[in-house]
Amino acid sequence: MTEATMTAAIARSEKEVSERSPLARAFIYAALVAVSFVMLYPLLWMIASSFKPDDEIFTSTSLLPHAFSADAYRRGWNGLSVGFGQMFFNSLVVCILVVIGNLISCSMAAYAFTRLRFRGRGFWFALMLGTLMMPQHAVLIPQYVLFLKLGWVNTIMPLVVPKFLAIDAFFVFLMVQFFRGIPRELDEAAVMDGCGPLRIFLKVILPLSTPVLATAAVFSFIWTWDDFFAPLIYLNDIEKYTAQLGLRTFVDATAQSDWSALFAMSTLTVLPVFILFVLFQRLLIEGIATTGMKR
Amino acid sequence: MASMGDTSPDVGRFARLQDQLAGYGFLAPWLIGFFVLTLGPAVASFYLSLTDYSGLNAPHWVGAENYLRIATDDDRFWTAMNVTFTFVLLSVPLKLLFALGVAVALNKGLKGLSLFRAIFYLPSLVGGSVAIAVLWRQVFSGDGLLNQALNMLFGYEGPSWISNPSTSIYTLVLLAVWQFGSSMIIFLAGLRQIPKDMYEAASLDGASPARQFFKITLPLLTPVIFFNAVIITIDAFKAFTSAFIISDGTGGPIDSTLFYTLYLYQEAFTNFRFGYASALAWVLVVIIAFFTAMSFLSARYWVHYDD
Repeated sequence: MTEATMTAAIARSEKEVSERSPLARAFIYAALVAVSFVMLYPLLWMIASSFKPDDEIFTSTSLLPHAFSADAYRRGWNGLSVGFGQMFFNSLVVCILVVIGNLISCSMAAYAFTRLRFRGRGFWFALMLGTLMMPQHAVLIPQYVLFLKLGWVNTIMPLVVPKFLAIDAFFVFLMVQFFRGIPRELDEAAVMDGCGPLRIFLKVILPLSTPVLATAAVFSFIWTWDDFFAPLIYLNDIEKYTAQLGLRTFVDATAQSDWSALFAMSTLTVLPVFILFVLFQRLLIEGIATTGMKR
Repeated sequence: MASMGDTSPDVGRFARLQDQLAGYGFLAPWLIGFFVLTLGPAVASFYLSLTDYSGLNAPHWVGAENYLRIATDDDRFWTAMNVTFTFVLLSVPLKLLFALGVAVALNKGLKGLSLFRAIFYLPSLVGGSVAIAVLWRQVFSGDGLLNQALNMLFGYEGPSWISNPSTSIYTLVLLAVWQFGSSMIIFLAGLRQIPKDMYEAASLDGASPARQFFKITLPLLTPVIFFNAVIITIDAFKAFTSAFIISDGTGGPIDSTLFYTLYLYQEAFTNFRFGYASALAWVLVVIIAFFTAMSFLSARYWVHYDD
């Protein structure tokens, strides 16, 4: 939906509300504020608690620490045999490679599905849609055995290489939807100028697709950052752990005796997602609204 | 294009060959991925489910034995089914109700819509992470945030919700419902598609807001409800991280949070029963496919398509 129709819709419904009784409006507001408060409180409390001394966590529901201390961050950062700095770096490397892989391979596939004429296109497209619904569990074990045979277990290869092979059909689908909206006249003009498929892809389609590429990049990054299952089965050495695995190991290591350090590291692992959320909120929400993307 | 073909048949054939090459060239990464990482493994995992493969030995053919054992001689499978279905049947309707209710309230054109929308969406963006599962462990522990608040407000001394097998699953349901935000956004988008003049006409006819909701909003929103229900259900069957972190990977206490995916993980990667785990995986795939097919079949009776 375009910004203009959205604004118009909001304006119309605002008029509708002004006709409602003030009491009903106040009631809806109160309910929304109450729900927001309950929903956000645990998150805010987690951040607050990371600055509290440990004994205060179990005696205070307050968001304000009595004695503000950032010491939990120091204890947590170096709380494992490998520092969290290393694990954040590992996560960052995986995320960046996954974003690159997804952008390249998914846009290539989407370009083939929407703009190129070749035998079997409809057939492959139907298969691609089929893989959208398929749960990953069906292929999990043979994939693991394959990566084991290739000597890739305990490396980041199993987390990264599949993304260069357009394994996230969802992003292919997202880009297909977007490419279909790009006027064909632009391609045809480029053909007249003597451009081949590659140059049309690079010079016409991709430059016009920054919104969908940005959406796919941000979602790829966040989902990979938060992913726990794949690193759990593929990474064994603590030096190779991602931040999520490190946090899980830290839960075991502290035996939950140092909750403020645990909360400090939890806060840090959520921070990148939070920053992306603040920066790209509109992009993320529109991406979900228009495609029904989940997570 | 036709004019190019007219000049010479050879040029036309060359152009067509070039089209094939370009098409398959751009599709190559996806094609390789499809065969090597999806189709091949899917076939292989079905074969492995008929063997006793452990990852070390060569797979021995055992026929349907794994499936027979699942059906007749595996208590933990039935426990996992019980836990998973409890989770799905509670979390999916609750999440849908919350998402729909909040979306309808927000759609009344209140000021601050985008702020509320952002607040409600945030949990679904971070909710699947390890950090939030860690937080959940503390909040619902014996001396955690919830019990502190209950004690402060009502003087009630709550139990440890996490370590009590009869309540632990509800903490996970709550965690799932907490992430209603992305469904809510899809509902909001759907609500915006409903023409406003329908409400105006209904108002002129004297229809109450409740009547308008049940006669206009709900029927016109059924395609979105259907879409959300299918996606949320599939997601719920696949839930893993929260149960893993909250139970230290065990599915405890006494298997009360043993999600199907967690049981599958244990069989595959702690017990290294690759053959048996492959059979478990296919049972899950069939269950999900069954639910999805049933939803699509039921759709014709309650989903309202007007175009």
